[in-house]
Amino acid sequence: MSIIEVKDLEKVYKTSDKESGIIGYIKHLFHPKYKEFKAVKKVNFSIEEGELVGYIGENGAGKSTTIKMLTGLLTPTSGKVIVNGKVPYENRIENNKQIGAVFGQKTQLWWDLPVIESFRLIKKMYKIPENEYRKNLKKFSALLELDELLNKPVKNLSLGQKMRCEIAATFLHNPKIVYLDEPTIGLDVLVKERIRKFIKDINKEKNTTVILTTHDLKDIEEVCDRIILIDKGSIIYDGEKQTFKDTYGKQVLAQISIKNKNALITNETIEDEFEVIEETEDFLKIKFNHDKTTIMNVVNKISNFCEIVDMHVQEQGLEEILKEIYRGEVVC
Amino acid sequence: MTKIKDNISIYLSMLVCSIKSMMEYRVDFIVGIISQLLTQVVELIFIWIVFQNTESLAGWTFDKLLLLYGITMLTIAIVDFLFDSIYDIGPKYIKDGDFDKLLLRPIHPLISVMGDTKTFTAFGYMAISLVLIISMLIKLQINITFMLIAKIIIFAFSGALIIGAIMIAFSVTSFYTYKSNEIIWSVFRIYTFAQYPVEIYNKFIRILITFIFPFVFATYYPTLNYLGMENGWLMYLSPIVAIIFLIIAVKVWNWGLNRYRSTGN
Ligand SMILES: Nc1ncnc2c1ncn2[C@@H]1O[C@H](COP(=O)(O)OP(=O)(O)OP(=O)(O)O)[C@@H](O)[C@H]1O
Ligand SMILES: [Mg+2]
Repeated sequence: MSIIEVKDLEKVYKTSDKESGIIGYIKHLFHPKYKEFKAVKKVNFSIEEGELVGYIGENGAGKSTTIKMLTGLLTPTSGKVIVNGKVPYENRIENNKQIGAVFGQKTQLWWDLPVIESFRLIKKMYKIPENEYRKNLKKFSALLELDELLNKPVKNLSLGQKMRCEIAATFLHNPKIVYLDEPTIGLDVLVKERIRKFIKDINKEKNTTVILTTHDLKDIEEVCDRIILIDKGSIIYDGEKQTFKDTYGKQVLAQISIKNKNALITNETIEDEFEVIEETEDFLKIKFNHDKTTIMNVVNKISNFCEIVDMHVQEQGLEEILKEIYRGEVVC
Repeated sequence: MTKIKDNISIYLSMLVCSIKSMMEYRVDFIVGIISQLLTQVVELIFIWIVFQNTESLAGWTFDKLLLLYGITMLTIAIVDFLFDSIYDIGPKYIKDGDFDKLLLRPIHPLISVMGDTKTFTAFGYMAISLVLIISMLIKLQINITFMLIAKIIIFAFSGALIIGAIMIAFSVTSFYTYKSNEIIWSVFRIYTFAQYPVEIYNKFIRILITFIFPFVFATYYPTLNYLGMENGWLMYLSPIVAIIFLIIAVKVWNWGLNRYRSTGN
């Protein structure tokens, strides 16, 4: 049995379709009209204990909606979620004991209290045994450099400091599953690094299952082994990160400075060996597939039309691949 | 049962933390007390003026009336202290999107809301109520026994729970409108009826504050009891009313929460 099972999960948001003005308001009171919007469509996946999963997709793809259903914040319109044997939206409080969650910049810490007091309340709330609490506090303080922050009230912390404390608070009770919805938003490179390392370390040590949502694909590159890609509410890829890159990232982008061009390079004349994206008198931007051809072949072909002055070749990273998928240039 | 015990235990810890952080806001603290004192003094002057032309109001002398007023203020002080953050659910927690984090904790969200309180007016109510209660008990020559003090404290809490339960029930409107605080406030203000003897009201208001919003159990009946008047025994129903209303309130609230979680807005 997987630790997280998601079956045919759907969420339909109903938003009231009010006409403006007082008359519209009164009309709405008697004949409420609703617009329906399906944010998550027949989503299926299962996640094993200890996996580090990146849940990615464009703005509005349905990531947060899915995470909210996994955590029990939202009740699905249809379908089922089982997390470690529990149905989160039916048994929310029981489920809360085994999970940790971060939602963007919203803090679960008490605004007016020193960080350490928040930690103590969390300890009490989750009934963390004293020795376990001490051990974790010591370890997290070292990994996230919290020592100087613990006695400051949360309201006086910077965003990065707050997020470090937030992450520590989230893992304090040794949750089996942690959901991180854009935990690195607005943070500087060093804090991001620290948080990524922390997640990896804890995962290795405690086999914590982590689902991570982010728009910073470096988070995914560094932390996750598996990617689930959601687009307009549907899963379009689910599998190993490496496989994803190998499958969709065979494209190589080359920017070539040229001179003495003697003919227009159309896609017909080069027999589809590569694809021309941009072409001027002295510049060429092309794309080709690793599987189908080699750089030497491409250079040979181009040499028939012009002289090559300089060439800059770029392999596709996660970011470029996703851009193409979002633009619809590559289909999963 | 252990669930309730856990919730109460964490609630008390949170309350202690809240009090600690309230202490940091000294200015608000003092302003809160003074503003409440002023409001109440104006009200008392008004009562005093009424009594310049009459010996008694529906059989109540000025002193007895002030005792009732003091008992009411004591209950309201406790309500204000324990339930003030109920007003924040709509305009603060839900509007700012902070409500979700409460739903992720392993305790009931109401405990989280109530544990994170910051009220400064409660101490104003408390001060004026203590002055009124003590001075009127002396003036009316009622023996201040340990038993009486215990009763006053216990039934002030019991009454506060009744009013708190009503506020919780009406805070279910937070799931529909950010302005829920205004709705809760207008229900809460019904207490002002109960700080005067019910004899002065018509049938409608009597029914309202006895059966629908039973504020009389929080103020009027206990005062009858302390004054040794007829019907004073009705005070002992107060804890039962409190428990029934609390159970109903939490049920209503949970229902609202479930609805909120399925619509997502
Ligand atoms: N409460 C709501 N009521 C109505 N529509 C909603 C609600 N919440 C989200 N939506 C819509 O559902 C879709 C999915 O939203 P969701 O927040 O899940 O996206 P996301 O993938 O997390 O996006 P982002 O990367 O911007 O955080 C969006 O089109 C959004 O407008
Ligand atoms: Mg989101």
